Amino acid sequence: MIYLDNAATSWPKPESVYQMVDKVMRQIGANPGRSGHTMAIEAGRLVQETRELAAALFAIPHPSQVVFTLNVTDSLNLALKGLLQPGDHVITSSMEHNAMARPLEALCKNGVTVTKVATSPVNGISLREIQNAIQANTKLIAITHASNVTGTLNPIGEIGQIAKAFGVAFLVDCAQTAGVFPINVQEMGIDLLAFPGHKSLLGCQGVGGLYVHKGITLKTLREGGTGSHSESLEQPDELPERYESGTLNTSGIAGLGAGIRYIMETGMEKIKQREEELTNLLVAGLAKIPGVVLYGPPLGQQRAAVVSFNLEQISANELCMILDQSFQIAVRPGLHCAPDAHRVLGTLQGGTIRISPGYFTTEEEIETCLQAITAIGKELVEEMR
Amino acid sequence: MIHVPERYSRQAIFQGIGSAGQEKIGHSRVAIIGLGALGTVIANNLVRAGVGYIRLIDRDFVELSNLQRQTIFDEADVSEQLPKAVAAAQHLGRVNSEITLEAIVSDVNAANIETLLTDVDLVMDGTDNFETRFLLNDICLKKNISWVHGAVLGSYGLTANIIPGQTPCYRCFMPEIPDTGASGTCSSAGVLNMITGIISSYASAEAVKILVGSSDVRKAALFIDVWNNSFHSKELSRQSDCPACVKHEYHYLTKEKGTYTTLLCGQKAVQIVPGQVRKMDFSDILKRLAHVGEIKSNRFLLRLKIHEIEITLFADGRAIIKNVENENKAKALYTEYFGL
Repeated sequence: MIYLDNAATSWPKPESVYQMVDKVMRQIGANPGRSGHTMAIEAGRLVQETRELAAALFAIPHPSQVVFTLNVTDSLNLALKGLLQPGDHVITSSMEHNAMARPLEALCKNGVTVTKVATSPVNGISLREIQNAIQANTKLIAITHASNVTGTLNPIGEIGQIAKAFGVAFLVDCAQTAGVFPINVQEMGIDLLAFPGHKSLLGCQGVGGLYVHKGITLKTLREGGTGSHSESLEQPDELPERYESGTLNTSGIAGLGAGIRYIMETGMEKIKQREEELTNLLVAGLAKIPGVVLYGPPLGQQRAAVVSFNLEQISANELCMILDQSFQIAVRPGLHCAPDAHRVLGTLQGGTIRISPGYFTTEEEIETCLQAITAIGKELVEEMR
Repeated sequence: MIHVPERYSRQAIFQGIGSAGQEKIGHSRVAIIGLGALGTVIANNLVRAGVGYIRLIDRDFVELSNLQRQTIFDEADVSEQLPKAVAAAQHLGRVNSEITLEAIVSDVNAANIETLLTDVDLVMDGTDNFETRFLLNDICLKKNISWVHGAVLGSYGLTANIIPGQTPCYRCFMPEIPDTGASGTCSSAGVLNMITGIISSYASAEAVKILVGSSDVRKAALFIDVWNNSFHSKELSRQSDCPACVKHEYHYLTKEKGTYTTLLCGQKAVQIVPGQVRKMDFSDILKRLAHVGEIKSNRFLLRLKIHEIEITLFADGRAIIKNVENENKAKALYTEYFGL
C-alpha cells in the first residue's frame, strides 16, 4: 500500500514513537501527577518532557504555557470560545478548515462578528486586506498557517506584526505545518498556537496542544480534577492545569514527545527540504497528465506538502476509489472538511483529490501514483464499452 | 373449555391447532423482516390466522413494480409513496382490528437488529439479501429465537425452519455470502408471483406449527421450482465447524462483516462498502442489467444510470450512488441491482 494521506494523519511513524507508546502502556501505566508513587512520578515526568519539547520546538518561553488537548480542533475551540465574548470582532481567512470555521460560526450566533478576508489559493491572505478589516472591537486575528486543501501558506510572521501594532490577539492553526516549517511564537507575535500531535509532529491521534501567551486568560471549557489544589472547588488558575482537567493521554503524549525528538534529531530543515522535493515531483508530474486541473500554488512556490487536483474525466470520490482498489494507493477525496476553501476554489460540488506525501514517502511511490492517475485518465477518455 | 372467537372458528376446529392452539397463536408475537413478495403474503396469512402481535419491518417504499407480486399493496399506495411497513399495517389493520400491528420503517443492521427483535417469539424472513439473513441468523442464535427462512428468484424458491439448538443454522448451509453479482436479484433475473406465494404460504404454515408447538414442524428444507416442475426436500446437516451455531462467533452482529455506508460530503451521494471483498463480473452485469438503464463499463468501473440515479460500481464491490435521499435508499438500490 502506498500511503499519501499524511495531511490527514502521518503514517508510518518513526520506530521510536511506536516503542515509546508501547513502553508507557506496559511499564509506566500510572496516572501522571495524581500520586507520589514512583510510577506516577515517572508518568508525570514523561508528560513534562513532551511539554518541554513542544515549548522548545515553537520557542515558547515556558513549558507550562503548553496545554495538552485532544487535537487541533479541541485547541481551536478552547482558544476561540475561551477568548471571545459577545461584541467581539474576529478576522479570519476565507480558506479555513471547519475546525476554525465552525466554532466561529457558532460564536456568531452568540454576538461575535467575523470578517472572512478574501484569500488567494495561490498567495494566501493579503496583509493589506487584514489591515483594512480591523475595527475598534477587533479582538482576534485567527488564521491557518497553511491551507489543508491546497497547502497555500499564509504570512504568519507579518500578520503577527500587524496584530501587535493594532493590539489584537493572534491565533494560528498550524495543523499542516507544525514539525516541518519553523514556527517561533515570540518572533512571529503569536499569542495562541494550536497544533496537532498526529500529523507532521509524528505522534498519536488524540493528542494536540495549545500555546497560551502569558497575558491571556481563557474561559475554561471543562472543569474537573487536575491533581492540584484539590481542597478547592474552584478550577485552579495555574497553567497548564487550568485547561487540563481529567487524566491526560499519557502514552499518546509520550509518543508525541518521541515524534518531536525525532524531528529535532533529524533536523526540521532536512524534513522540509525532503517534503519540498516530493511535492515538486508530484506537482510537476500531475501538470503533465491530460485532464488534470491543479489548484493552489504553482510548481516551485513554497507550500505545505498538500496538493489538490481534479481529473476532468471522473469525480474525486471515484478516482480515489480506483486508486485504492486497483493500485493500493491511499489518497483523500472530497471537501477535506474545508467548505470555505472549496468555495474559493470553485470545487464545492464534489471537492478535490488531495495527495499529501510525508517525510517517509519515496520518489518511487510518487512515480507509481502518477503512473496510476495517467493510466486511469487515459482509459476513461477512451470510449467505455 | 376455551372460547374461540367466531373469526377463527374454521382454523381452531382443525385438529392440528384446536382451541388451545388458537389461544397460543393469539398470545404470540412475531416479527416480519422485509415486506416484499414473501413478507406481504406471510403478513396477510398471520394477520388472518390471529397472531396477537406482529411487527412489520421494512426500509422501502411501495413502487409500481412491486404490485405484480406484493399482494397487499395497491395503486393508491404507489401514488401516495407510502412506506411498505405503513401501507401493510393500514391494509391489514382493516382485515383484523383485534390484533396489534406495529409498523417500523427502518433498515435492519447490526446496530438495531437486537432492539428490533426484542420481545418476539418468532421471526419471519422476508428479506431480499444474504447479509440481513446472516445478521438475522446471528441474533436469533444469540437470543434463542426461531426463524423461518424463505428465498425466491425467478421461478424457484426455498424455505427452511431454523430453530436454535434443534436444526442446523443458516450458516451451516450458506457459510459465506456467495458472489452472485447481478445474477441473483429480482431486478435482473425476475420473479414470478406464483412461487413467492407458494414459498410464503409454506413458511406461514411452519410459523403456525412452531407457535402452537406442533410435533409436525418440518425438519427438512424445501426446494420448489414452478416452471421446471421440481419439488423436493432435503435434510440439512450441521457443519461441525460452523462459526455461528457451533463456535458462537457472530461475525455479522459484531460488524466484523456487514456493509458499511457513508454519506459523501457536499453531494447527494452515498458510498457503499460491502463487508467482504467481492469480485464483480462487469461483462455479466452489463448483460443482465442492460434493460434497467444506461450502462457501461471499463477496467475500473461500471456506470449504471437509471433516471436521475447514477451508480458507479467498482470491481471489488464498492459503489458510489449519486442522487439518493439517504443511506437506506442507497443500500436498497445496491441490494436490488447487485445483491448483498
